[in-house]
Amino acid sequence: MANPSSESPPVVPHGSVAPRRGFISLLAVLAGGIAGLVPVAAGTLFFMDPILRKRKEAEVDLLRAGDISDLPADGTPVRVVLKSDIVDAWTVYRDRVIGSIYLRLMPNGQVLAFNDTCTHLGCKVDYQPAQKQFFCPCHQSAFELDGERKNLTPPRNMDSLEAEVKDGEVWVKYQNFQTATKDKKAI
Amino acid sequence: MKALLNWLDHRTGYKLLVHEALNEPIPGGARWRYITGSMLTFTFIVQVITGFALWTAYSPSTQTAWESVYYIQHQMSCGWLVRGIHHFAAQAMMILLGLHFLQIVWDGAYRAPREVNFWLGLVLMQIVIGLSLTGYLLPWDQKGYYATKVATNIAGSTPLIGQQIQQIAQGGSAYGHHTLTRFFALHAGLLPALLTVFLALHVYVFRRHGITVPHSAEGKPVDTFWPKQVLYDAAGCLVTLGLVLYFTLTRSAELSAPADAGEDFPARPEWYFLFLFRFLEFPAISKMGVAFGAIYVPTALMIIVVLMPLVGKSQWGHYFNRAFLVAVLAAVAVLTGMTIIEDNHNESHQAKLAFAERDAHRIVVLAARDGIPQNGARELLVNDPLTQGPRLFARHCSSCHRYDGHDGTLQKIMKTVEENGEKKLIAEPATAADLKDFGNREWITRVLTDYDSTFKPLENAGEKGQAILTGEMSSWCKDNQKALTDPANTESLKALVEFLTSQGGRTDLGTFDEKLVTEGKEIFKGGTLKSGTLSSSCVDCHAMKVAGESTPLSEGAGAGYPTLTGYAGRDWLKAFLRDPAHADFYGDKNTMMVFDDKRLSEKELDLLVNWMAGEYYLPPNAQHTK
Repeated sequence: MANPSSESPPVVPHGSVAPRRGFISLLAVLAGGIAGLVPVAAGTLFFMDPILRKRKEAEVDLLRAGDISDLPADGTPVRVVLKSDIVDAWTVYRDRVIGSIYLRLMPNGQVLAFNDTCTHLGCKVDYQPAQKQFFCPCHQSAFELDGERKNLTPPRNMDSLEAEVKDGEVWVKYQNFQTATKDKKAI
Repeated sequence: MKALLNWLDHRTGYKLLVHEALNEPIPGGARWRYITGSMLTFTFIVQVITGFALWTAYSPSTQTAWESVYYIQHQMSCGWLVRGIHHFAAQAMMILLGLHFLQIVWDGAYRAPREVNFWLGLVLMQIVIGLSLTGYLLPWDQKGYYATKVATNIAGSTPLIGQQIQQIAQGGSAYGHHTLTRFFALHAGLLPALLTVFLALHVYVFRRHGITVPHSAEGKPVDTFWPKQVLYDAAGCLVTLGLVLYFTLTRSAELSAPADAGEDFPARPEWYFLFLFRFLEFPAISKMGVAFGAIYVPTALMIIVVLMPLVGKSQWGHYFNRAFLVAVLAAVAVLTGMTIIEDNHNESHQAKLAFAERDAHRIVVLAARDGIPQNGARELLVNDPLTQGPRLFARHCSSCHRYDGHDGTLQKIMKTVEENGEKKLIAEPATAADLKDFGNREWITRVLTDYDSTFKPLENAGEKGQAILTGEMSSWCKDNQKALTDPANTESLKALVEFLTSQGGRTDLGTFDEKLVTEGKEIFKGGTLKSGTLSSSCVDCHAMKVAGESTPLSEGAGAGYPTLTGYAGRDWLKAFLRDPAHADFYGDKNTMMVFDDKRLSEKELDLLVNWMAGEYYLPPNAQHTK
């Protein structure tokens, strides 16, 4: 506050005008409140954009993951990268690597496909030929070659992906899933 | 609740703070003229809030700045609102700054013991100007890019160290990534931090000395800040916000096309700097060099302002300060008004603005269609016929042709002539046809029924032009004009036009009436109208192979009689432009310029021809106007 000594006239008591003062106070709070709230609200809504804006539900297309002749007949997993067009905010990237998966050729000619993201906390799972298992270097999650978990670190088995064989080519529906949950939920 | 507040007060002493903040004495009671400081503080807080929000989505690099601002403006929730508030509140801040300053000087609030606070206020003013300068560039659009270039070039004109200052500001010898990262760091980091510190000092010193009370209020009862002055202040803030929202809703924050060093722009600074822009344009000032008008004069004025508290010690000094301020503000108002009026009357400037606006709209349409490529949004415009066609037309065709009376880019083509010793600007007459309607139904109708007026500009093209106007096609038209415009033949003319138009294979002219096309083909071949016949039929002279048929309808009469196979379509146009003297076209009668691949690359030719033939993307429901 200002140096009180320099001010001479005393502050008038407001007892008699109390109701008016109360009304003015109310108006002041209202006006100030609205003026302050509008920018805060606009800014907050903007910041919440990731959960507020409805995005077009992207259809998950089948992506070409290679030829069936490239997969070992004994069922050894092979890691494959997948390419597709992706949209990152304003930028559209054409034919860009969007992730990697494991493919296994089964004796019946079918192909098993796994997302190689660990269901625990999202590190990439490695195939270990010596142990014939998938192993995550982050927290020792381990999975059988059919994707079943070998210990209780991961909350669920590896995430399998829909795969089709057409004219000797392997096509996979690539999806990512929420990690650290029991249920497999596409994101 | 009360117990909890008491507990908090014991540990923080907040009640005293609130008491001090609200019970500041206002001698003479609340007044409207005291509100500008609070409004400025409020506006700054609005800028901090919206600025932080924008910061979460802005990406400072030459390939992402415009793109991220586009995304904020057109895609994100409330993005247009947040950006609009930030954009218009920045302008409100400049106005409030002026009002605050005016009030302080007028009321003599700079006098002892408030000199230091006056100077702190001047520091704040410089910071706000810095914020507005740095912020203007960040969208990396044409407008901000060219306006800011002027500002950094002015900095570069500083004597001795100008070049160094400019390079430090730009982050190099030219504009690039580091210009943006630096401007952004200043705009969102250093300058707001400095503003906060100096604002705190300003308010602290202000509170120390209290409000400057006018003589009329002396002796009147003392009121407190709360509640009446707070209400006045809050009302002022609310009005400011209301105006900011009004402009956001009615005009929205502008975003011109992405910055392009190869594409000019009718740059003007933001309106509050227009006076400086206009000042520099006076021949007497520009003659003295950039540094004189843009650095020395403003610095001199600023020194007078800094000295105001000292000059204003005497009553006469105070009157001088008032007079000086009013004079400067009047000069600013006059110069600003002059710029606006002159620009409004400058046809060429207005045409450039309108053309730049088309780019600004077009890029949004293109970006919304298929996203922005990795190399940035500019690429979309570079490969767009609707954007590049008019420019190519202006560069290569407009020396003879016109497009709806202008050069393709809305610019009238003018030339200077001397008349009675005075230089005058007059329209340069065209020497070849206006091609706005080229190839559409109106064009073909006009060529058939009124050849001479369609090609009237050829009158100005010398002997060869005259030769065309007195040539065979011209005579044919004169001979058949009566028959073709006979009301009984309306349908026949329509059919002939429909047939010819359909041959270009253009997709922008709507669907073709198959029945008319078939009828038209017969007229083209036989010359028989509903009422009467043509003096000679089209096939007597012109070659024609109807689209989709294997045998030609006619071989034509050879060189000099242009083929009408695919007339005015993309392939026809490309072949014609590459070699109009070819036997398929004018042969040795040709007067048209030859556009070989040295003059017009294959890509440029495609862009130009696709534009002329209407072959470019339009959003659904859009009118097909070039």
